[in-house]
Amino acid sequence: MSEQTPVLVRNVSKTFKDVKALDDVNLQLDSHKIYGLLGRNGAGKTTLMSILTGQGFPDAGEVKVFGHTPFEHDGTLSRICFIRESQKYPDEYKAFQAFKAAALFFENWDEQLAQELIADFNLPLKRKIKKLSRGQLSAVGVVIGLASRAEVTFFDEPYLGLDAVARQIFYDRLVEDFALYPRTIVLSSHLIDEVANLLEHVIIIDSGRIVMDEDAESLQGAAVTISGKAEVVDEFVADYPVIHRDSLGALASVSIQQRLTPAQQTEAKELGLDLSPLSLQQLVVRTAMGRNVLASHQDQAKERTSWNA
Amino acid sequence: MERVIKVARMQLINKWVFIGLPLLILGCAFVFSLAIFWIVRENGGEGTMYGGGAQAPMWYFLALGIQALTLTFPFSQAMSVSRRSFYLGTVLLFGVCALALSVFYYLMGLLEKATGGWWMDARFFALEWVADNNGAVQIGFYFVLMVLLFMVGFLIATIYMRWRTTGLLVFFIALGVLLLGVIALLTFNQLWGNFWTWALTWTAAGVTLWGGVVAVVMAGASYLTLRKATVA
Repeated sequence: MSEQTPVLVRNVSKTFKDVKALDDVNLQLDSHKIYGLLGRNGAGKTTLMSILTGQGFPDAGEVKVFGHTPFEHDGTLSRICFIRESQKYPDEYKAFQAFKAAALFFENWDEQLAQELIADFNLPLKRKIKKLSRGQLSAVGVVIGLASRAEVTFFDEPYLGLDAVARQIFYDRLVEDFALYPRTIVLSSHLIDEVANLLEHVIIIDSGRIVMDEDAESLQGAAVTISGKAEVVDEFVADYPVIHRDSLGALASVSIQQRLTPAQQTEAKELGLDLSPLSLQQLVVRTAMGRNVLASHQDQAKERTSWNA
Repeated sequence: MERVIKVARMQLINKWVFIGLPLLILGCAFVFSLAIFWIVRENGGEGTMYGGGAQAPMWYFLALGIQALTLTFPFSQAMSVSRRSFYLGTVLLFGVCALALSVFYYLMGLLEKATGGWWMDARFFALEWVADNNGAVQIGFYFVLMVLLFMVGFLIATIYMRWRTTGLLVFFIALGVLLLGVIALLTFNQLWGNFWTWALTWTAAGVTLWGGVVAVVMAGASYLTLRKATVA
């Protein structure tokens, strides 16, 4: 059973009233990998994770977790952990009671790890959860997510309200524990640069569509920004997929989603163009924004032609 | 089944909600009623004295039905519990608690009779209409009443979980229209006299039976509603 693909998503769509939250999503998550699910607020990250964990349901398409539809399937659900960014806890619960419940349900629960994390985060165990600060609330979710050691673990914006030190503790502990107990971990985030070097695989979602699904390694240098004289730049990038364009007077700076061969790099330099690789964060921002920006450029262009005519 | 039991254990992590609070409410109602009975008796009150305080914890079960769902269901989802297991574990736990409390009511009723109404001819647990029946009917009556109130709260909460405010609005408007229809029907046909005559023929056993049927229907409806409920 553990041989099966942890997560398989086929043609999943989901609409809330008039908003298309997920639009024909196809994905595969493998075992023993840390995934980054990146995108803007409202891009569909939480909706996707809800459906993957049987908490929500798709309008169309299917999801298989270890070969089963997770919805209402206790055997499959017991191998998954998903704490929401806005997770609700019973009103009277104190932090230690939430951990007690988690220890009941998650078979691989590691109490010692939980205790270490609680100490790391300075979590007040006897305080009611509804009285905790936003950061402490996030820490409760992080402790449950890590100590559950579930075969597929989702962290939904786990760092909200955590200070820089606490965030670093989370990243360190995650990597440390992952090395000892490899599993499928999905980190949903919009603080991309911070998590960039944890990720082995990057999935970018925008307006409900998967716009990128690639190994982190292959993303290094997958997009470049070319700057120089506008007409030279435009001529150079003519055949490549442009994700962003800035211009200032006669100068332009254009980002393309294209890996340049050494020959192409030399050619660019000979033309007097500057090349700089996009960071993961810039890539996400450009990929997510690029489509809108390009669309509006085209609209403007159309408008101009109609004005002239 | 294992996870169903775990859900019941999770609900009991805070024992106050399912056990402590109902007992406290009952204890307070009982002590206050006894005090009032005593004051009345000391000041020359005559005849058997009746108090309705025993129903106090039952109204709490209405709130418990709502609470058990709205607060614990989203958490149970985070604990990777299926809706079915959550439902069964919660209802099962409440059933066991209600049964224990019903037996307690019955035993206290016996004690009340044995002491001549707490030595002052007072009735708190053993109200004749119920207490004149055999033990099984008495326990069944209390149990059904408790489950009924819990289920009303549970059903309302599942409707909220599934369809939010819109669902509740539709539910209560439909309920209001239905009641209005029944009232209109009885009034236009001048059937109120017949209605009250009929209502007075009801026995505790009859209420237990039909109340049980209604509780089962509501249990089924809340399960079907919960099947597709989401937390956000």
